[in-house]
Amino acid sequence: MSDAAASAPPAARTAASSPVAEAWRTLRRRPDTVIAAVVLLFFAVMAAFPRLFTSTSPRTCPIREARTAPQGWGGDHPLGTDALGCDVLATLVHGVRPSLLLAVVVVGISLLIGVTLGLLAGYYLGWVDYLVSRAVEVFLVVPLLLAALLVLSLFKGVDLGAGTFNVILLPAVVLILFGWMPYARYVRASTLEAKNLDYVTAARSLGASDVRIMTRHVLPNAIGTVTALLPTSVAGVISAEAVLSFLGIGVRPPATSWGIQIEQGSQWVLGGAPHILLAPLACLVATVLALVVLGDALRDALDPRLAA
Amino acid sequence: MSAPSQAAAPQPVAEETPLLEVTDLAVEFRTAEGTVRAVDGLSYRVEAGRTLAIVGESGSGKSVSSLAVMGLLPPTARVTRGSARLAGTDLLALRPRQHRAYCGERVAMVFQDALAALNPVHTVGYQLTEALRARRGLSRADARARAIELLDLVKVPNARARVKEYPHQFSGGMRQRVMIASALAMDPEVLIADEPTTALDVTVQAQVLQLLAEIQAERRMGLVLITHDLGVVAGVADDVTVMYAGRAVEQAPVGPLYAAPAHPYTRALLRSIPSTAGADRGTRRRLPVIPGRPPSPAARPSGCPFHPRCDVAQDLCRTEVPPLTGPAPARLSACHFAADVLANRPPETGGTHE
Amino acid sequence: MGRYILRRAVQAVGTLLLVMLLLHLLTTVAIQLNGNPAQAFFGDKVATPAQIAAVEERFDLDDPCYDQVGNPCLGPFVERLGQYAQGDFGTNLRGREVADIVATAAPNTLRLFCIVLVTWLALGMVLGSVAARWRGSAGDHGIRLTSVLIDAFPVFVLLIVYRYVVAVPLHGWAEDTFGADSWPPYWFKPSFDPDHPWATVLVPGILLGLAGSAAFIRLVRASQLESYQGDHVRTARSKGLVERHVVVHHVVRNSSVPVVTAVGLTFAEALGGAVITEGLMNIYGMGGVLWGAVRDDDVSLVLGVVTLLAAVTVVVMIVVDIAYALLDPRIRYE
Repeated sequence: MSDAAASAPPAARTAASSPVAEAWRTLRRRPDTVIAAVVLLFFAVMAAFPRLFTSTSPRTCPIREARTAPQGWGGDHPLGTDALGCDVLATLVHGVRPSLLLAVVVVGISLLIGVTLGLLAGYYLGWVDYLVSRAVEVFLVVPLLLAALLVLSLFKGVDLGAGTFNVILLPAVVLILFGWMPYARYVRASTLEAKNLDYVTAARSLGASDVRIMTRHVLPNAIGTVTALLPTSVAGVISAEAVLSFLGIGVRPPATSWGIQIEQGSQWVLGGAPHILLAPLACLVATVLALVVLGDALRDALDPRLAA
Repeated sequence: MSAPSQAAAPQPVAEETPLLEVTDLAVEFRTAEGTVRAVDGLSYRVEAGRTLAIVGESGSGKSVSSLAVMGLLPPTARVTRGSARLAGTDLLALRPRQHRAYCGERVAMVFQDALAALNPVHTVGYQLTEALRARRGLSRADARARAIELLDLVKVPNARARVKEYPHQFSGGMRQRVMIASALAMDPEVLIADEPTTALDVTVQAQVLQLLAEIQAERRMGLVLITHDLGVVAGVADDVTVMYAGRAVEQAPVGPLYAAPAHPYTRALLRSIPSTAGADRGTRRRLPVIPGRPPSPAARPSGCPFHPRCDVAQDLCRTEVPPLTGPAPARLSACHFAADVLANRPPETGGTHE
Repeated sequence: MGRYILRRAVQAVGTLLLVMLLLHLLTTVAIQLNGNPAQAFFGDKVATPAQIAAVEERFDLDDPCYDQVGNPCLGPFVERLGQYAQGDFGTNLRGREVADIVATAAPNTLRLFCIVLVTWLALGMVLGSVAARWRGSAGDHGIRLTSVLIDAFPVFVLLIVYRYVVAVPLHGWAEDTFGADSWPPYWFKPSFDPDHPWATVLVPGILLGLAGSAAFIRLVRASQLESYQGDHVRTARSKGLVERHVVVHHVVRNSSVPVVTAVGLTFAEALGGAVITEGLMNIYGMGGVLWGAVRDDDVSLVLGVVTLLAAVTVVVMIVVDIAYALLDPRIRYE
């Protein structure tokens, strides 16, 4: 439209400052984002230094203290005890680490795999693209949770030890194996788009190497959409872990996780001890909510076209 | 800012009662920087069987003004002043629903870039007769017959088969013909064509313009042809309105305007048309361009908006907005020195503010 | 069009074969690392080697390749493909045909999916359209907040809260208010009742649909906003069509293309959700069977059901591709 010029100035101004700075400014203006970030930081600190939050061990479980109601701050069991007499707060605090670590590891490695494959497929096309696209299709056909159920029940008996990484190893491998495809798809699509942009063609004609073009010109274009996906993906892994642990095939005992706690707590809601369920459930919802809010804000910041 | 007397200003052609008469139209956009006036006091009229060309650069307000007439302004835009009378009814004073009812039926619009303006998921036949079916209750069979008729009218070959096809299966020129046919579906009295040939090859451009002119003559429609290219206007238009920065700067019948422009902007536009005549003479003359850029609607210069780019600008031009007045019969120009420009002599400096 | 469908179908068969190969390889590695799955048949009991051998033979696990780590065991794979082709999907640990189990369980899953789909489309289309139509209004912001909140409660959490906290009192209240024989108590029954499959699947289905609807609301909003900004919408308005007609035929119709694609992509995710839903709510469907099989270590049943569900997903993806081609004429003859 020839008179679009009337609405051009704001767009021009946006383009003038860097998109990252612009995104950061948008993020900061929303208080809900700040709150979400604080919540996540809180749980991250809890995962790193559980002793800051509780001095009780989650493994001291005097059975005669089972199902004690929450005693509030200052009591022996601020959030009460569970069906076996273990301290709910202590279990909760020590259950953060496996969940968060799993989520970060899974999303990080899936991202790495997805971005690499998507970039290669979109840039070189031909047989590389054929292989990647078929692989994406094959893995997409098996829903993540179904694959996890299958593989984890298959490998249930394999002993992997009790180290921090060992307890999450199996779920991590499965969730990565069946979780890298969305990133590959997005990156492939934006690579296809970016590849034909004039400045990329120019860079190529000036003799820039493929690697340089990909990392300097194509990837920055693609990274926006993918970044907006990350918080929601982390939230997805956290809740998937809860489901798997609920079924007893997630994080391995003796490590605890919120999923395991929820499973144990669900049986006592009507038995007079709802806190055993509600405490881990509340933590799960708080974490997921914070991540979703963050993801929503990121989506807005990186794709202003769709903002309200 | 603008002279309210414009409504009463003498019009270049007034033999017939106008079909469409736009008077003192002003349109504002709300933007992050505040309100921006895209059209500021535009008046024009179109008679049955005549073609008015509205010429201007992008941002001059030519498209916005026609969208205002059609009631199709985006939500951020607002008509702040003026009227658009279609055979006596002020469209801008109607409720949106009533205004919409006039569209297509009595005044229709042809958009630029038919690929985007046609819906990719419906067949051409459906889009040609959509309004007839929805508004006049035409049966499916009648609509099909009418669609074929319309395609024949705009000279799309093999119309019978092509009504079932989709816009992406048409070439650019054919697509624009479909666009025109769809505007003609309800036999409107006035047709507004917004840069109907911009997206097309030069040869196809000429064909489409020719077609528009034929149909217009045959049906005695009033045609408003919006374009940024003064070169295409000569063969088709009867009258010309040149717009700059949201205002009409010159209005005249096409012949006199070409022969002797009365505004420096029109003169500059005419000079920048590549002419084959110059090549004939063998004089390799550099094509003059208008220096500078069209002003952003958000930051219009003071005084005459064209003064920073004008080759005859005087001190007066920097401070006073020139009114649209007639330096000669049937001519209107918004230049302080219109008479001098018309006579192609340098303006009298020293400022006789007539 | 016919050729397009044919080509997609052939491609899908290829995908399915690759999926089965993938599942086979995973199973093989698991058996090789994990030891003998036939042991699971006996639970904690100690079985004699002869008993184990008998079980192994029944589940086609007697091939020596299962003892060699790294051997892809292609022989048994081809054998199994032959059995699948004849409709033989193996048996569960108790000797019941997987195909038979699935046949009895599938209708309930279908019921669940009907409700899920209706919930998705109803919420997504209505809320998404409203948000797009009145962009930037209070309604738009409210809908956006709603979608964020929906996202914050995974299906798993919704169902746990519903089943263990809400359902029982609600069920009691419904019984008191409407009488034990009326419909409402069945809606809120915390577990599945085979005599009233629709009524007892209703609320879980809505909850599962609700959990997936946030993405739909956003998608419908985004794609309709794009349509609203399209030139073809302005053209339609210039023809004097009433706004309702413009919205239905030029905005909603055009934005249906990405929405249909999303239904296809979300389907796989919803299958996962269905497993959780059916498992938690004791619904006897494919997911419920799978959930139970995981708990009972019934690996061959898990494998059979996952393979079948993958096949269903492949079929859904073809249907979506065809619908896509039907909805968007531009890609029909690609």
